[in-house]
Amino acid sequence: MLVLCLCMVCASASPTQPEGHKVAAENCQYRGKHFKTSFKVEGEPVVLRCPQVRYWLGASARPHVNMTWHKNDSAPVAPGKDGPRVWVQDGALWLVPAVQGDSGTYICTVRNASYCDEMSIELRVFENTEASLPVVSYPQILTFATTGSLVCPELSEFTTNKADMKIQWYKDSVLLDEDNEKFSSVRGTARLLIHNVSAADAGSYRCALAFGRRGRRYTVTRHIQLRVNRKQEETIPVIISPHQTILASLGSTLAIPCKVFLGAGTHSTTMLWWMANNTSVDSAYQDGRVREGQRLEYSENNENYIEVPLIFDPVIRKDLTTDFKCVVHNTLSFQMLHTTVKEAASFSWGIALAPLSLLVLVLGGIWMHRRYKHRTGKAYGLTALRTGHQDFQSYPSKIKEIK
Amino acid sequence: MALETACRPSGKRPCVMQAFRIWDVNQKTFYLRNNQLVAGYLQGPNTQLEEKIDVVPVEPQAVFLGIHGGKLCLACVKAGDEIRLQLEEVNITELSKTKEQNKRFAFIRSDSGPTTSFESAACPGWFLCTALEADQPVSLTNTPKEAVRVTKFYFQQD
Repeated sequence: MLVLCLCMVCASASPTQPEGHKVAAENCQYRGKHFKTSFKVEGEPVVLRCPQVRYWLGASARPHVNMTWHKNDSAPVAPGKDGPRVWVQDGALWLVPAVQGDSGTYICTVRNASYCDEMSIELRVFENTEASLPVVSYPQILTFATTGSLVCPELSEFTTNKADMKIQWYKDSVLLDEDNEKFSSVRGTARLLIHNVSAADAGSYRCALAFGRRGRRYTVTRHIQLRVNRKQEETIPVIISPHQTILASLGSTLAIPCKVFLGAGTHSTTMLWWMANNTSVDSAYQDGRVREGQRLEYSENNENYIEVPLIFDPVIRKDLTTDFKCVVHNTLSFQMLHTTVKEAASFSWGIALAPLSLLVLVLGGIWMHRRYKHRTGKAYGLTALRTGHQDFQSYPSKIKEIK
Repeated sequence: MALETACRPSGKRPCVMQAFRIWDVNQKTFYLRNNQLVAGYLQGPNTQLEEKIDVVPVEPQAVFLGIHGGKLCLACVKAGDEIRLQLEEVNITELSKTKEQNKRFAFIRSDSGPTTSFESAACPGWFLCTALEADQPVSLTNTPKEAVRVTKFYFQQD
Protein backbone atom coordinates (compact mmCIF):
# COMPACT_ATOMS: atom_id res chain seq x y z
CA MET A 1 0.00 0.00 0.00
CA LEU A 2 2.80 2.34 0.98
CA VAL A 3 4.57 1.52 -2.24
CA LEU A 4 1.43 2.27 -4.20
CA CYS A 5 0.96 5.61 -2.38
CA LEU A 6 4.57 6.54 -3.00
CA CYS A 7 4.18 5.71 -6.66
CA MET A 8 1.06 7.82 -6.90
CA VAL A 9 2.80 10.73 -5.19
CA CYS A 10 5.72 10.21 -7.54
CA ALA A 11 3.44 10.04 -10.57
CA SER A 12 1.41 13.14 -9.69
CA ALA A 13 4.39 15.18 -8.59
CA SER A 14 6.98 14.37 -11.21
CA PRO A 15 5.67 16.49 -14.09
CA THR A 16 5.96 19.65 -11.98
CA GLN A 17 9.24 18.80 -10.24
CA PRO A 18 12.26 20.83 -11.16
CA GLU A 19 15.23 18.89 -12.41
CA GLY A 20 18.04 17.92 -10.04
CA HIS A 21 19.21 14.98 -8.02
CA LYS A 22 18.22 16.24 -4.56
CA VAL A 23 14.56 16.73 -5.42
CA ALA A 24 14.45 13.47 -7.34
CA ALA A 25 15.79 11.61 -4.32
CA GLU A 26 12.99 12.97 -2.15
CA ASN A 27 10.32 11.63 -4.44
CA CYS A 28 12.07 8.49 -5.37
CA GLN A 29 11.47 5.25 -3.58
CA TYR A 30 14.74 3.98 -2.15
CA ARG A 31 14.74 0.22 -2.44
CA GLY A 32 17.86 -0.36 -0.41
CA LYS A 33 21.35 -1.60 -1.02
CA HIS A 34 22.08 -4.37 -3.45
CA PHE A 35 22.94 -7.51 -1.49
CA LYS A 36 26.17 -8.18 -3.33
CA THR A 37 29.22 -5.99 -2.96
CA SER A 38 31.40 -5.84 -6.04
CA PHE A 39 35.07 -6.63 -5.34
CA LYS A 40 37.45 -5.68 -8.14
CA VAL A 41 41.12 -4.97 -8.73
CA GLU A 42 42.45 -1.69 -10.05
CA GLY A 43 43.51 -1.31 -13.64
CA GLU A 44 40.71 -3.50 -14.97
CA PRO A 45 37.41 -2.57 -16.60
CA VAL A 46 34.47 -2.64 -14.18
CA VAL A 47 30.78 -2.51 -15.05
CA LEU A 48 28.09 -1.85 -12.47
CA ARG A 49 24.62 -2.85 -13.55
CA CYS A 50 21.64 -1.02 -12.19
CA PRO A 51 20.62 -3.49 -9.46
CA GLN A 52 16.87 -2.95 -9.56
CA VAL A 53 16.73 -3.86 -13.25
CA ARG A 54 17.47 -7.46 -12.24
CA TYR A 55 14.44 -7.50 -10.00
CA TRP A 56 12.24 -6.72 -12.94
CA LEU A 57 13.38 -9.66 -14.98
CA GLY A 58 10.47 -12.03 -15.23
CA ALA A 59 8.13 -9.28 -14.06
CA SER A 60 6.41 -6.80 -16.34
CA ALA A 61 8.81 -4.92 -18.54
CA ARG A 62 9.28 -1.26 -17.87
CA PRO A 63 10.04 0.41 -21.14
CA HIS A 64 11.28 3.93 -21.69
CA VAL A 65 13.04 4.28 -18.40
CA ASN A 66 15.88 6.65 -17.81
CA MET A 67 18.72 5.30 -15.69
CA THR A 68 21.20 7.63 -14.03
CA TRP A 69 24.08 7.00 -11.67
CA HIS A 70 25.70 8.96 -8.91
CA LYS A 71 28.31 8.14 -6.32
CA ASN A 72 27.36 8.78 -2.67
CA ASP A 73 26.44 12.46 -2.56
CA SER A 74 28.33 13.56 -5.61
CA ALA A 75 26.73 14.77 -8.78
CA PRO A 76 25.30 12.34 -11.32
CA VAL A 77 27.72 10.64 -13.66
CA ALA A 78 27.14 12.18 -17.02
CA PRO A 79 28.26 10.37 -20.14
CA GLY A 80 31.84 11.44 -20.76
CA LYS A 81 31.88 13.85 -17.81
CA ASP A 82 34.71 12.21 -15.90
CA GLY A 83 36.94 12.14 -18.91
CA PRO A 84 36.93 9.07 -21.05
CA ARG A 85 37.31 6.74 -18.03
CA VAL A 86 33.74 6.68 -16.63
CA TRP A 87 30.49 6.55 -18.57
CA VAL A 88 26.93 5.23 -18.54
CA GLN A 89 25.91 2.92 -21.33
CA ASP A 90 22.55 1.13 -21.60
CA GLY A 91 21.94 1.98 -17.97
CA ALA A 92 25.18 0.39 -16.76
CA LEU A 93 28.03 2.33 -15.21
CA TRP A 94 31.41 1.68 -16.84
CA LEU A 95 34.69 2.38 -15.11
CA VAL A 96 37.46 1.68 -17.61
CA PRO A 97 39.78 1.13 -15.96
CA ALA A 98 38.76 1.23 -12.29
CA VAL A 99 41.04 2.90 -9.75
CA GLN A 100 41.12 2.41 -5.98
CA GLY A 101 39.49 5.82 -5.53
CA ASP A 102 36.37 4.48 -7.27
CA SER A 103 35.52 2.49 -4.14
CA GLY A 104 32.28 3.60 -2.59
CA THR A 105 28.50 3.46 -2.79
CA TYR A 106 26.89 4.02 -6.16
CA ILE A 107 23.22 4.84 -6.53
CA CYS A 108 21.24 4.03 -9.63
CA THR A 109 18.06 6.03 -10.20
CA VAL A 110 15.45 4.66 -12.54
CA ARG A 111 12.61 6.87 -13.67
CA ASN A 112 9.99 7.35 -16.30
CA ALA A 113 6.95 9.62 -16.44
CA SER A 114 5.12 7.74 -13.71
CA TYR A 115 7.75 5.92 -11.72
CA CYS A 116 10.97 6.50 -9.85
CA ASP A 117 13.12 4.30 -7.69
CA GLU A 118 16.68 4.08 -6.45
CA MET A 119 19.00 1.39 -5.33
CA SER A 120 22.59 1.47 -4.20
CA ILE A 121 25.47 -0.87 -4.86
CA GLU A 122 28.81 -1.09 -3.12
CA LEU A 123 32.06 -1.20 -5.06
CA ARG A 124 35.46 -1.99 -3.55
CA VAL A 125 38.51 -1.63 -5.77
CA PHE A 126 41.69 -3.21 -4.45
CA GLU A 127 45.33 -3.01 -5.35
CA ASN A 128 46.18 -5.95 -7.60
CA THR A 129 48.24 -7.96 -5.09
CA GLU A 130 48.24 -11.37 -3.40
CA ALA A 131 46.70 -9.78 -0.31
CA SER A 132 43.47 -8.93 -2.13
CA LEU A 133 43.02 -12.48 -3.45
CA PRO A 134 40.80 -13.83 -0.63
CA VAL A 135 38.36 -10.97 -1.23
CA VAL A 136 38.20 -11.03 -5.00
CA SER A 137 38.28 -14.84 -5.43
CA TYR A 138 35.29 -16.98 -6.31
CA PRO A 139 35.31 -20.35 -4.55
CA GLN A 140 34.45 -23.30 -6.81
CA ILE A 141 34.31 -27.02 -6.01
CA LEU A 142 34.88 -30.15 -8.06
CA THR A 143 34.64 -33.82 -7.14
CA PHE A 144 37.67 -36.06 -6.86
CA ALA A 145 38.22 -38.56 -9.72
CA THR A 146 35.51 -37.05 -11.94
CA THR A 147 35.54 -34.59 -14.81
CA GLY A 148 34.13 -31.14 -14.17
CA SER A 149 34.32 -27.49 -15.14
CA LEU A 150 35.66 -24.32 -13.67
CA VAL A 151 33.75 -21.28 -14.88
CA CYS A 152 35.19 -17.82 -15.39
CA PRO A 153 32.35 -15.84 -13.79
CA GLU A 154 30.65 -12.50 -14.46
CA LEU A 155 32.00 -11.70 -17.90
CA SER A 156 28.73 -11.05 -19.72
CA GLU A 157 29.37 -7.31 -20.20
CA PHE A 158 32.65 -8.02 -21.93
CA THR A 159 31.57 -10.81 -24.24
CA THR A 160 29.25 -9.37 -26.83
CA ASN A 161 30.31 -11.97 -29.32
CA LYS A 162 30.39 -15.19 -27.36
CA ALA A 163 31.51 -17.41 -30.22
CA ASP A 164 34.81 -15.53 -30.38
CA MET A 165 35.38 -15.51 -26.65
CA LYS A 166 38.87 -16.70 -25.82
CA ILE A 167 39.77 -17.07 -22.21
CA GLN A 168 43.23 -17.84 -20.98
CA TRP A 169 43.54 -19.94 -17.87
CA TYR A 170 46.35 -19.90 -15.33
CA LYS A 171 47.00 -22.05 -12.33
CA ASP A 172 49.30 -20.52 -9.71
CA SER A 173 50.24 -17.91 -12.35
CA VAL A 174 51.34 -20.54 -14.88
CA LEU A 175 49.50 -20.46 -18.21
CA LEU A 176 47.70 -23.77 -18.70
CA ASP A 177 48.13 -25.82 -21.79
CA GLU A 178 44.44 -26.08 -22.50
CA ASP A 179 44.40 -28.87 -24.99
CA ASN A 180 46.09 -31.66 -23.17
CA GLU A 181 44.60 -34.64 -21.36
CA LYS A 182 44.13 -32.70 -18.15
CA PHE A 183 42.63 -29.38 -19.19
CA SER A 184 40.51 -28.33 -22.10
CA SER A 185 38.73 -25.05 -22.64
CA VAL A 186 35.92 -24.89 -25.12
CA ARG A 187 36.15 -21.83 -27.33
CA GLY A 188 33.06 -19.69 -27.02
CA THR A 189 32.42 -20.68 -23.41
CA ALA A 190 33.81 -19.50 -20.10
CA ARG A 191 34.51 -23.06 -18.99
CA LEU A 192 37.70 -24.91 -18.32
CA LEU A 193 37.18 -28.66 -18.27
CA ILE A 194 39.38 -30.54 -15.81
CA HIS A 195 39.63 -34.25 -16.51
CA ASN A 196 39.97 -36.82 -13.74
CA VAL A 197 40.19 -34.26 -10.95
CA SER A 198 42.91 -35.03 -8.40
CA ALA A 199 43.79 -33.47 -5.07
CA ALA A 200 46.69 -31.70 -6.79
CA ASP A 201 44.22 -29.77 -8.97
CA ALA A 202 42.94 -27.81 -5.98
CA GLY A 203 44.30 -24.29 -5.58
CA SER A 204 44.37 -20.90 -7.15
CA TYR A 205 43.25 -20.33 -10.74
CA ARG A 206 43.01 -17.19 -12.78
CA CYS A 207 41.11 -16.64 -15.99
CA ALA A 208 41.77 -13.69 -18.26
CA LEU A 209 39.77 -12.20 -21.09
CA ALA A 210 41.12 -9.53 -23.40
CA PHE A 211 38.86 -6.53 -23.82
CA GLY A 212 39.35 -3.62 -26.18
CA ARG A 213 37.76 -0.22 -25.71
CA ARG A 214 38.34 3.02 -27.55
CA GLY A 215 41.56 1.77 -29.05
CA ARG A 216 42.99 0.48 -25.78
CA ARG A 217 43.47 -3.11 -24.65
CA TYR A 218 42.48 -4.22 -21.17
CA THR A 219 42.42 -7.56 -19.37
CA VAL A 220 39.43 -8.70 -17.37
CA THR A 221 40.64 -11.12 -14.71
CA ARG A 222 38.73 -13.39 -12.37
CA HIS A 223 40.29 -15.42 -9.59
CA ILE A 224 38.99 -18.84 -8.65
CA GLN A 225 39.89 -20.87 -5.60
CA LEU A 226 39.24 -24.52 -6.41
CA ARG A 227 38.50 -27.06 -3.72
CA VAL A 228 38.38 -30.79 -4.46
CA ASN A 229 35.76 -32.79 -2.56
CA ARG A 230 35.45 -36.51 -2.26
CA LYS A 231 32.12 -37.90 -3.35
CA GLN A 232 30.08 -39.40 -0.60
CA GLU A 233 29.79 -43.07 -1.36
CA GLU A 234 26.73 -45.22 -1.40
CA THR A 235 27.10 -48.85 -0.32
CA ILE A 236 24.74 -51.79 0.14
CA PRO A 237 23.81 -51.77 3.84
CA VAL A 238 24.05 -54.93 5.92
CA ILE A 239 21.71 -55.53 8.85
CA ILE A 240 23.91 -57.03 11.57
CA SER A 241 21.36 -57.21 14.38
CA PRO A 242 18.78 -58.08 15.78
CA HIS A 243 18.74 -61.87 16.22
CA GLN A 244 15.84 -63.91 14.94
CA THR A 245 14.37 -64.26 18.41
CA ILE A 246 14.60 -61.90 21.31
CA LEU A 247 13.89 -63.07 24.83
CA ALA A 248 11.90 -60.89 27.19
CA SER A 249 9.72 -61.22 30.24
CA LEU A 250 6.15 -60.05 30.01
CA GLY A 251 5.68 -56.73 31.75
CA SER A 252 9.32 -55.65 31.35
CA THR A 253 10.64 -52.93 29.08
CA LEU A 254 12.66 -54.03 26.08
CA ALA A 255 14.76 -52.32 23.42
CA ILE A 256 15.72 -54.26 20.32
CA PRO A 257 18.39 -52.38 18.39
CA CYS A 258 18.43 -52.71 14.64
CA LYS A 259 22.04 -52.14 13.68
CA VAL A 260 23.10 -51.58 10.11
CA PHE A 261 26.62 -51.62 8.74
CA LEU A 262 27.30 -49.13 5.93
CA GLY A 263 31.08 -49.38 5.57
CA ALA A 264 32.19 -46.26 3.74
CA GLY A 265 28.60 -45.51 2.73
CA THR A 266 26.83 -42.33 3.69
CA HIS A 267 24.26 -42.10 6.47
CA SER A 268 22.21 -39.49 4.74
CA THR A 269 20.45 -41.57 2.10
CA THR A 270 19.97 -44.64 4.25
CA MET A 271 16.55 -45.08 5.77
CA LEU A 272 16.06 -47.43 8.64
CA TRP A 273 12.73 -48.24 10.27
CA TRP A 274 10.73 -50.89 12.07
CA MET A 275 7.46 -52.51 11.10
CA ALA A 276 5.01 -54.65 13.05
CA ASN A 277 2.94 -57.14 11.01
CA ASN A 278 3.60 -55.05 7.89
CA THR A 279 2.39 -51.76 9.36
CA SER A 280 4.52 -48.89 10.51
CA VAL A 281 5.17 -48.89 14.22
CA ASP A 282 3.56 -45.48 14.61
CA SER A 283 0.23 -46.53 13.20
CA ALA A 284 0.25 -50.00 14.77
CA TYR A 285 0.80 -48.63 18.26
CA GLN A 286 -0.89 -45.28 18.42
CA ASP A 287 -0.72 -45.38 22.20
CA GLY A 288 3.08 -45.41 21.88
CA ARG A 289 3.56 -48.57 23.91
CA VAL A 290 5.83 -49.83 21.17
CA ARG A 291 7.81 -47.15 19.39
CA GLU A 292 11.01 -46.48 17.50
CA GLY A 293 13.82 -44.97 19.54
CA GLN A 294 16.17 -42.27 18.40
CA ARG A 295 18.24 -42.95 15.34
CA LEU A 296 21.93 -43.13 16.07
CA GLU A 297 24.53 -42.55 13.38
CA TYR A 298 28.13 -43.27 14.23
CA SER A 299 31.49 -44.39 12.91
CA GLU A 300 33.84 -47.01 14.27
CA ASN A 301 37.26 -47.44 12.68
CA ASN A 302 36.14 -45.27 9.76
CA GLU A 303 33.16 -47.49 9.07
CA ASN A 304 29.68 -46.13 9.37
CA TYR A 305 26.78 -47.61 11.29
CA ILE A 306 23.17 -46.66 11.94
CA GLU A 307 21.07 -47.95 14.78
CA VAL A 308 17.36 -47.55 15.45
CA PRO A 309 15.96 -49.37 18.50
CA LEU A 310 12.43 -50.69 18.82
CA ILE A 311 11.26 -49.95 22.32
CA PHE A 312 8.55 -51.93 24.17
CA ASP A 313 7.18 -50.33 27.30
CA PRO A 314 6.16 -52.85 28.43
CA VAL A 315 6.23 -56.20 26.60
CA ILE A 316 2.77 -57.83 26.57
CA ARG A 317 1.59 -61.28 25.46
CA LYS A 318 0.38 -59.94 22.10
CA ASP A 319 3.97 -59.08 21.17
CA LEU A 320 4.89 -62.77 21.22
CA THR A 321 2.73 -63.37 18.16
CA THR A 322 3.68 -60.23 16.25
CA ASP A 323 6.09 -60.27 13.33
CA PHE A 324 8.55 -57.41 13.82
CA LYS A 325 10.93 -56.47 11.09
CA CYS A 326 13.71 -54.00 10.64
CA VAL A 327 13.78 -52.45 7.18
CA VAL A 328 16.75 -50.70 5.59
CA HIS A 329 16.49 -48.90 2.30
CA ASN A 330 18.91 -46.78 0.34
CA THR A 331 19.37 -45.99 -3.32
CA LEU A 332 21.13 -49.31 -3.91
CA SER A 333 19.10 -51.82 -1.96
CA PHE A 334 16.08 -52.72 0.11
CA GLN A 335 16.48 -55.29 2.87
CA MET A 336 14.64 -56.50 5.93
CA LEU A 337 15.21 -58.75 8.88
CA HIS A 338 12.42 -60.44 10.86
CA THR A 339 12.49 -60.94 14.57
CA THR A 340 10.07 -62.35 17.13
CA VAL A 341 9.84 -61.79 20.84
CA LYS A 342 9.80 -64.92 22.98
CA GLU A 343 8.89 -65.13 26.59
CA ALA A 344 12.03 -65.41 28.67
CA ALA A 345 10.30 -67.27 31.58
CA SER A 346 9.55 -70.43 29.58
CA PHE A 347 13.06 -70.54 28.36
CA SER A 348 14.54 -70.39 31.87
CA TRP A 349 12.57 -73.54 32.75
CA GLY A 350 14.10 -75.16 29.75
CA ILE A 351 17.54 -74.14 30.89
CA ALA A 352 16.83 -75.51 34.37
CA LEU A 353 15.63 -78.82 32.97
CA ALA A 354 18.29 -79.25 30.34
CA PRO A 355 21.09 -80.66 32.58
CA LEU A 356 18.60 -82.96 34.29
CA SER A 357 17.29 -84.42 31.06
CA LEU A 358 20.83 -84.78 29.79
CA LEU A 359 21.76 -86.70 32.93
CA VAL A 360 18.77 -89.01 32.52
CA LEU A 361 19.71 -89.59 28.91
CA VAL A 362 23.35 -90.36 29.70
CA LEU A 363 22.48 -92.67 32.57
CA GLY A 364 19.85 -94.36 30.48
CA GLY A 365 22.32 -94.71 27.68
CA ILE A 366 24.93 -96.34 29.89
CA TRP A 367 22.38 -98.73 31.34
CA MET A 368 21.13 -99.74 27.92
CA HIS A 369 24.65 -100.13 26.64
CA ARG A 370 25.70 -102.41 29.48
CA ARG A 371 22.60 -104.50 29.21
CA TYR A 372 23.04 -104.90 25.50
CA LYS A 373 26.72 -105.79 25.69
CA HIS A 374 26.01 -108.41 28.28
CA ARG A 375 23.23 -110.14 26.40
CA THR A 376 24.37 -110.01 22.75
CA GLY A 377 28.06 -110.58 22.40
CA LYS A 378 27.63 -111.84 18.78
CA ALA A 379 25.93 -108.70 17.72
CA TYR A 380 28.82 -106.67 19.12
CA GLY A 381 31.25 -108.82 17.12
CA LEU A 382 29.28 -108.26 14.00
CA THR A 383 29.47 -104.52 14.57
CA ALA A 384 33.22 -104.77 14.90
CA LEU A 385 33.46 -106.74 11.67
CA ARG A 386 31.34 -104.25 9.86
CA THR A 387 33.73 -101.58 10.94
CA GLY A 388 36.50 -103.68 9.53
CA HIS A 389 34.66 -103.92 6.24
CA GLN A 390 35.21 -100.24 5.69
CA ASP A 391 38.94 -100.84 5.68
CA PHE A 392 38.62 -103.48 3.00
CA GLN A 393 42.01 -102.94 1.40
CA SER A 394 44.08 -103.00 4.54
CA TYR A 395 42.49 -105.95 6.24
CA PRO A 396 41.61 -108.56 3.63
CA SER A 397 41.89 -111.41 6.16
CA LYS A 398 38.95 -110.06 8.14
CA ILE A 399 36.78 -110.17 5.05
CA LYS A 400 37.39 -113.82 4.84
CA GLU A 401 36.24 -114.20 8.34
CA ILE A 402 32.94 -112.60 7.49
CA LYS A 403 32.43 -115.00 4.63
CA MET B 1 32.34 -39.65 18.28
CA ALA B 2 28.77 -40.60 17.57
CA LEU B 3 26.94 -38.10 15.43
CA GLU B 4 23.37 -38.17 16.45
CA THR B 5 20.34 -37.20 14.45
CA ALA B 6 16.75 -38.00 15.20
CA CYS B 7 15.61 -38.58 11.66
CA ARG B 8 13.13 -41.28 10.92
CA PRO B 9 11.40 -42.08 7.67
CA SER B 10 7.91 -42.82 8.87
CA GLY B 11 7.69 -41.22 12.28
CA LYS B 12 5.27 -38.53 13.29
CA ARG B 13 7.89 -36.96 15.47
CA PRO B 14 9.95 -34.12 14.02
CA CYS B 15 12.78 -35.24 11.87
CA VAL B 16 16.15 -33.58 12.14
CA MET B 17 17.29 -32.18 8.83
CA GLN B 18 20.71 -32.25 7.29
CA ALA B 19 22.38 -29.33 5.55
CA PHE B 20 23.68 -29.84 2.03
CA ARG B 21 25.62 -27.53 -0.22
CA ILE B 22 24.21 -27.21 -3.68
CA TRP B 23 25.86 -25.75 -6.78
CA ASP B 24 25.21 -26.37 -10.42
CA VAL B 25 27.69 -27.86 -12.90
CA ASN B 26 28.50 -24.28 -13.94
CA GLN B 27 29.58 -23.56 -10.35
CA LYS B 28 26.66 -21.25 -9.54
CA THR B 29 25.57 -21.29 -5.91
CA PHE B 30 22.14 -20.38 -4.51
CA TYR B 31 21.25 -17.21 -2.64
CA LEU B 32 18.23 -15.09 -1.92
CA ARG B 33 17.42 -11.87 -3.69
CA ASN B 34 14.27 -10.13 -2.62
CA ASN B 35 12.94 -13.41 -1.14
CA GLN B 36 13.55 -15.21 -4.39
CA LEU B 37 16.08 -18.00 -4.75
CA VAL B 38 18.62 -17.15 -7.44
CA ALA B 39 21.80 -18.82 -8.67
CA GLY B 40 25.02 -17.05 -9.43
CA TYR B 41 28.62 -16.46 -8.49
CA LEU B 42 29.71 -15.20 -5.09
CA GLN B 43 33.15 -13.83 -4.37
CA GLY B 44 35.02 -13.33 -1.10
CA PRO B 45 32.79 -11.94 1.67
CA ASN B 46 29.65 -12.38 -0.49
CA THR B 47 29.96 -16.16 -0.02
CA GLN B 48 28.23 -15.65 3.33
CA LEU B 49 25.06 -15.12 1.32
CA GLU B 50 25.11 -18.70 0.07
CA GLU B 51 21.98 -20.64 0.94
CA LYS B 52 22.56 -24.17 2.02
CA ILE B 53 19.80 -26.64 1.38
CA ASP B 54 18.14 -28.28 4.36
CA VAL B 55 17.12 -31.80 3.56
CA VAL B 56 14.67 -34.17 5.21
CA PRO B 57 14.42 -37.56 3.53
CA VAL B 58 10.97 -38.86 2.70
CA GLU B 59 12.24 -41.99 1.03
CA PRO B 60 15.79 -42.76 -0.03
CA GLN B 61 15.21 -41.08 -3.37
CA ALA B 62 12.67 -38.47 -2.27
CA VAL B 63 13.46 -35.47 -0.12
CA PHE B 64 11.94 -32.28 1.21
CA LEU B 65 14.14 -29.29 0.39
CA GLY B 66 14.27 -26.12 2.42
CA ILE B 67 16.44 -23.13 3.21
CA HIS B 68 16.90 -20.82 6.20
CA GLY B 69 17.12 -23.61 8.73
CA GLY B 70 14.24 -25.44 7.11
CA LYS B 71 11.80 -22.56 7.62
CA LEU B 72 11.28 -21.92 3.90
CA CYS B 73 10.53 -24.93 1.72
CA LEU B 74 10.78 -25.37 -2.04
CA ALA B 75 7.49 -26.38 -3.63
CA CYS B 76 6.18 -27.05 -7.11
CA VAL B 77 2.94 -25.12 -7.54
CA LYS B 78 0.49 -25.30 -10.42
CA ALA B 79 -1.38 -22.10 -11.18
CA GLY B 80 -3.55 -22.63 -14.24
CA ASP B 81 -1.27 -23.77 -17.02
CA GLU B 82 1.77 -22.46 -15.27
CA ILE B 83 4.09 -24.54 -13.15
CA ARG B 84 6.46 -22.74 -10.91
CA LEU B 85 8.86 -23.13 -8.05
CA GLN B 86 7.92 -21.26 -4.93
CA LEU B 87 9.28 -20.81 -1.44
CA GLU B 88 6.72 -21.45 1.25
CA GLU B 89 6.93 -20.63 4.92
CA VAL B 90 6.56 -24.07 6.46
CA ASN B 91 8.82 -25.86 8.85
CA ILE B 92 10.50 -28.73 7.03
CA THR B 93 10.63 -30.88 10.16
CA GLU B 94 6.90 -30.60 10.65
CA LEU B 95 5.94 -31.73 7.16
CA SER B 96 4.13 -35.04 7.31
CA LYS B 97 5.45 -37.40 4.69
CA THR B 98 2.20 -39.14 4.09
CA LYS B 99 -0.09 -36.17 3.46
CA GLU B 100 -0.98 -35.66 -0.18
CA GLN B 101 -0.95 -31.86 0.14
CA ASN B 102 2.72 -32.04 1.14
CA LYS B 103 3.67 -33.78 -2.07
CA ARG B 104 4.45 -30.41 -3.64
CA PHE B 105 7.44 -30.15 -1.29
CA ALA B 106 8.87 -33.52 -2.29
CA PHE B 107 11.60 -33.90 -4.89
CA ILE B 108 12.94 -37.13 -6.31
CA ARG B 109 16.68 -37.06 -6.45
CA SER B 110 18.56 -39.06 -9.03
CA ASP B 111 22.31 -39.31 -9.10
CA SER B 112 24.39 -39.53 -12.24
CA GLY B 113 28.12 -39.67 -11.62
CA PRO B 114 29.03 -36.84 -9.29
CA THR B 115 25.87 -34.84 -9.94
CA THR B 116 22.26 -34.97 -8.81
CA SER B 117 18.98 -33.90 -10.44
CA PHE B 118 15.75 -33.12 -8.62
CA GLU B 119 12.38 -33.91 -10.14
CA SER B 120 9.28 -32.60 -8.44
CA ALA B 121 7.13 -35.41 -7.06
CA ALA B 122 3.97 -33.34 -7.49
CA CYS B 123 4.89 -32.14 -11.00
CA PRO B 124 6.32 -35.19 -12.78
CA GLY B 125 8.73 -34.30 -15.57
CA TRP B 126 9.62 -30.94 -14.01
CA PHE B 127 13.18 -30.56 -12.77
CA LEU B 128 14.86 -28.03 -10.53
CA CYS B 129 17.01 -25.83 -12.74
CA THR B 130 19.10 -22.72 -13.06
CA ALA B 131 19.52 -20.44 -16.05
CA LEU B 132 22.83 -20.30 -17.90
CA GLU B 133 23.09 -16.63 -17.03
CA ALA B 134 24.07 -15.72 -13.49
CA ASP B 135 21.75 -14.04 -10.95
CA GLN B 136 18.62 -15.53 -12.46
CA PRO B 137 15.91 -17.28 -10.43
CA VAL B 138 16.15 -20.96 -9.61
CA SER B 139 13.12 -22.52 -11.30
CA LEU B 140 11.61 -25.68 -12.77
CA THR B 141 11.89 -26.96 -16.33
CA ASN B 142 10.20 -29.77 -18.23
CA THR B 143 12.89 -29.77 -20.90
CA PRO B 144 15.91 -30.77 -18.83
CA LYS B 145 17.92 -31.75 -21.90
CA GLU B 146 17.88 -28.23 -23.34
CA ALA B 147 21.18 -26.46 -23.10
CA VAL B 148 19.73 -23.18 -21.83
CA ARG B 149 18.81 -24.77 -18.51
CA VAL B 150 21.09 -26.45 -16.00
CA THR B 151 19.52 -29.34 -14.11
CA LYS B 152 22.66 -31.06 -12.86
CA PHE B 153 23.79 -30.09 -9.42
CA TYR B 154 26.54 -31.01 -7.10
CA PHE B 155 24.78 -31.87 -3.87
CA GLN B 156 27.01 -32.71 -0.95
CA GLN B 157 26.56 -32.87 2.74
CA ASP B 158 28.10 -29.91 4.47
